[in-house]
Amino acid sequence: MPATPETTSRQYAQPVVNAAEAPLIRAPEKIQSVYTVTTIAACLPMAAGWLYFGYHAILVSLLSVASCVAIEWGYFRVTHSPALLGRAHAYLTGVLLALTLPPFTPWYVVILAAAFAILVGKAVFGGVGHFLWQPALVGRFAVAVILPVLAQLTPAGSDQKQVTLTPTHWPVLSRDHLLLGDLDNVAQDRLVAYRGWRSRQASPGTEGFAMQHPAETLAPLSRGEEPAYSALAHPRQDLPNSKPAALTLLPPIGDLLFGARPGGIGETCAAMILVAGIYLVYRNYVKWQLPLAFLASAAVVAAVAPVQLAGPNQTVEWMWFPVFAEGLDVGFTYVCYQVLSGALLLSAFFLATEMTSSPVTTGGQVIFGVAGGWIAMGLQLYFETAIPAYLAVLAMNTLTPTIDAIWLPRVFGQKHFEWLRIPFRGKPTKE
Amino acid sequence: MTHRYGIFTGGIDIPDEKQATLDEPIRAVSEIEVLRVPLAPCGGAAAEAVVEPGQSVRAGERLARAGQDGVDVFAPLAGQVRDVVSVVTAIGRQLMRMPAIELTELSGCREIPDGEETFDWIHADAEELRRRIDESHLVTQRRRPLPLTRWVQRAHRAACEVFVVNAVESQPYITADHRLLVEHGEEVMRGVSILARAVGARRCILAVDQRRTRDYDPLLAPAEYYEVEHAALPPKYPIGSDHILLKVLTRREVPCGGNTLDIGAAVIDPASCFAAYHWVARGRRLGGRLVTISGEHVTRPANLFVPFGTDARSLLPTSPPPYVMGGPMVGTLCEGDAVTGPAVNALLAIDPTPTGSASQCIRCGWCRDHCPTRLNVAVLNDLYELSRVESAELLGALSCVECGVCSYVCPARLPLTRRVRELKRAIRRLRHTPAPRREGEPHHHPETT
Ligand code: SF4
Ligand code: SF4
Repeated sequence: MPATPETTSRQYAQPVVNAAEAPLIRAPEKIQSVYTVTTIAACLPMAAGWLYFGYHAILVSLLSVASCVAIEWGYFRVTHSPALLGRAHAYLTGVLLALTLPPFTPWYVVILAAAFAILVGKAVFGGVGHFLWQPALVGRFAVAVILPVLAQLTPAGSDQKQVTLTPTHWPVLSRDHLLLGDLDNVAQDRLVAYRGWRSRQASPGTEGFAMQHPAETLAPLSRGEEPAYSALAHPRQDLPNSKPAALTLLPPIGDLLFGARPGGIGETCAAMILVAGIYLVYRNYVKWQLPLAFLASAAVVAAVAPVQLAGPNQTVEWMWFPVFAEGLDVGFTYVCYQVLSGALLLSAFFLATEMTSSPVTTGGQVIFGVAGGWIAMGLQLYFETAIPAYLAVLAMNTLTPTIDAIWLPRVFGQKHFEWLRIPFRGKPTKE
Repeated sequence: MTHRYGIFTGGIDIPDEKQATLDEPIRAVSEIEVLRVPLAPCGGAAAEAVVEPGQSVRAGERLARAGQDGVDVFAPLAGQVRDVVSVVTAIGRQLMRMPAIELTELSGCREIPDGEETFDWIHADAEELRRRIDESHLVTQRRRPLPLTRWVQRAHRAACEVFVVNAVESQPYITADHRLLVEHGEEVMRGVSILARAVGARRCILAVDQRRTRDYDPLLAPAEYYEVEHAALPPKYPIGSDHILLKVLTRREVPCGGNTLDIGAAVIDPASCFAAYHWVARGRRLGGRLVTISGEHVTRPANLFVPFGTDARSLLPTSPPPYVMGGPMVGTLCEGDAVTGPAVNALLAIDPTPTGSASQCIRCGWCRDHCPTRLNVAVLNDLYELSRVESAELLGALSCVECGVCSYVCPARLPLTRRVRELKRAIRRLRHTPAPRREGEPHHHPETT
C-alpha cells in the first residue's frame, strides 16, 4: 500500500477483535447427549439378553460397564488427559462390550476386555474422537485372541475348568426360569429333537437347555472336511444314504428373531436391535445407509456364495446361488438364517456405526457398509472364527481413513471429477 | 402464478420465530435523541467530515465527502452537529469501529417519505439511469455493503443476464424485507426495474419464501408490468445465501472462490431497490432502512424505519445488552452503543446459546451432511488444526458461503465457520490473490500501522 500523504491521513474502519461470532444460536445436541442416547438404545438388546441368559448376563453387563468407567476414570486421574472427555463414552463402551460378550464369561475376562477396550482402544489414541478401531471391539477381539492362548498354557490334566468363549453347546434359559435362572444348571439338548424354544420346558432339575450355536450348525455347509448335509431343506430321496437337510436342524426363525438362541448377550435379539437401531436412525445418530448397506451386502453374499452338499458316492457338490437352488422360499429362509445367526445385526446397527471409526461422508459409509458386510459374511461362511462380524468391522475401521481420503464428493462450484485429480496433483495450479 | 423451484442438498430447518413481527405494520422510531452516523458505511476508508461542530444541518445535507472509492455521507435527519466520534457497527460478520458524526437536537420526518416522482425514469435510457445512480451515494443494504454505483457498474461490465432480488430471509426472526414488500411492494418493483435496466439484465427474478406468497398477491400485477418473475422457494436455511439461491434458481454453481457475476447473475436485496427507486424517481436519499426489532426479551417486536446511526440501546430500551446485530446465524453480538448502518437489518434481544468450551471433533459427519456446499468440514477442521492450507484449498474450502450451518449443528460446539473462514483467508494470502472485490466481499483491509 503506497503511503501517500493523502492515504495516511485518512481514517479506516477497524475490526473489533473478540466480538462474539455467528452463529449465535446452536442446535441442542451435544456430544454427551449423543452418547447418552446411544447408550440407552444399546440397553434394549441388553435387556433382552438379561431375559434369556439370567443373572450371569446381568453380572457380566454390570461388571463390564463398571470396569470400563473405573479404568477410564483411573487413566484420567493419572494422566490428566483432557481428550477422554467425560464419562458418557465410557458407559457406552461398557455397554457395547457387554453386548458382544457371551453371558458365561468369567469375571476376570470381562475386566481384561474392558482394560483393552479403554486403554488400547481409546486411551492410546488420545480418547474420544481420535480412535481408529471401535474400542469395545478392540476389547472383544483381545480376549478372543488371548483366551485360546491361555487355555493352551493351562497344564493338561489340571482340574481347572477350561475357559472358552466358544463352547460346543451354549446355554439358554427356558421359559419358566427367565431373568433369574442359572446358566450353569442346564441340560444338554440334542439339536435334532429341538422344536423351538417356546414349545419346551426345561427337564426336571435344570433351568434351561444347552444347544449348538446356529452359526455352528450352518458351518458345515461351507467349510469342514466333508459336507454334513445333502440338501438345504428337504433330504434327497434319490440318494441311498442321504444326510440331513441343514435347515431342519435349526431352531424356528422366530427364536432367532426374538433372541432365544445361543450367542452373546446383545447379539441374539434381532427384534430389539432393530427397534433400537431404528430409533437411532430416527434421531439421526446413525445414518440408515450404513446398516442397510452392511446387511444387504451380507445377504447378497449369503445368497450367492457356494455351499457344499453331499452328492452321490461320497462326492462333494459345490452349489452356487443357494438362494435359487431349492426354490425361492427355501433360499430366502437360508439367507435369513445366515444373516440372523451371528452378530451381524448388532455389528450393523451399533458397532459399525460408531461415529469416530466410520467414514464421515455418507458415500464413504456405504462403501464401508458394503465392504464390511461382504467381509463379515465371507468370514462367517468360509473361515473358522467365532467373531466374523466383529473382525469385519475392525478391518473396515482400519480402512476408514483411506476411505475418507479417497471418497471426495464434488464440492459446490468445483469442476466435475475434480476429486479424481486431487490425489495426483501436488499443488493446485495457479490461474 | 409463482413458479416453484427445487431445493439444494444439505441445509437445516431452524425454528423460524418470525410470527412476532410478520404481520406488524412498519412503524417510525420516536425515542431517539442522538444519531452517530458512521462515516465508512462500506468499511474501508472513512469519508472526511465537511461540517463543523455546532453547525446545523438539514435532512439530506452532506456530512462527509469520500475519496473516489467510497460514498459521501448525508444527514438522515435535521439536527445539530456535535462532534466527530468513534462508533461500532456491523459490517459483514464482524463489528467495525469507525469515525462517525454525532447529531443532536434532531427534527424532521422520521417516517418513510412520500412524494411525487420528479424524474421520468420509465423513459430514461440505461446510461442515464447509471449516471443518476452514480450521483446517489447509496450503498447496497446487504450484509457487506458496497457503493451502489460500483455494484451496478460491475454487474453491467460483467454483462450479467439474470438479476435476482433476494427477498428470502431464511434467518430466524428477520422480517424487514417481507414487510417492505408487503407495504411498499410497488415501489420496490419500480426500483427493481430501474436497477435491472441500469445493469442491463435480460431476466429479472424476485425470490420469496413460498409460505408468504399469499401476502405478495398485490405484487403480481406490478411484477408483470415491470417484467419481474416470481420464484417461491421452500424455507430451508441457508436458501437466502446468494450462491445457493442461484443454484436453485438457475441450476448453475458459482465456481470455487468466485462470485455471482462469474455465472452471469447479479443479486441484490429489496431494500436497496427501494432506496434506488427513491433516489432515481423522487430525488430523495433514504437516510435509513427497515430494521426488525425482535427477540424473546422484547416487549413490542416490530419493524422500524430507523435512520442510520441510531444506537442499539435506544431501539431496545427495555432489554439489557448484549444484542444480536444482523440475525442469529450470520450476525454478531454487540453492546448497547453499537449503531445501525445499511448492513443492519435486525437487532435482536435473544440469549445466545452458551457454547462452553469446544471439545474435540467426534466425526459425526453432521457438518458435512448439512453444509450446503458439501464441504467436508470435519476434515477442514483437522487441516485448520494442522495449518495445512494447501490441502484445504484442494478440498475446495473457497466454496464456503459462511452460512454458519456447520457451527450450528456441531455437537462438539466447535467454531467451524470461523475456522473455515480463516482457512479461506490464509489460502488467499498464500496465493497472493487479493480477495476479489466481489459483491458482498469487504474491502481488503489496508495494513495501516
Ligand atoms: S459436526 Fe463437529 S463433531 Fe461432527 S464431524 Fe463435524 S466437526 Fe466433527
Ligand atoms: S463450511 Fe461454510 S458453507 Fe459449509 S456449512 Fe460451514 S459455513 Fe456453511
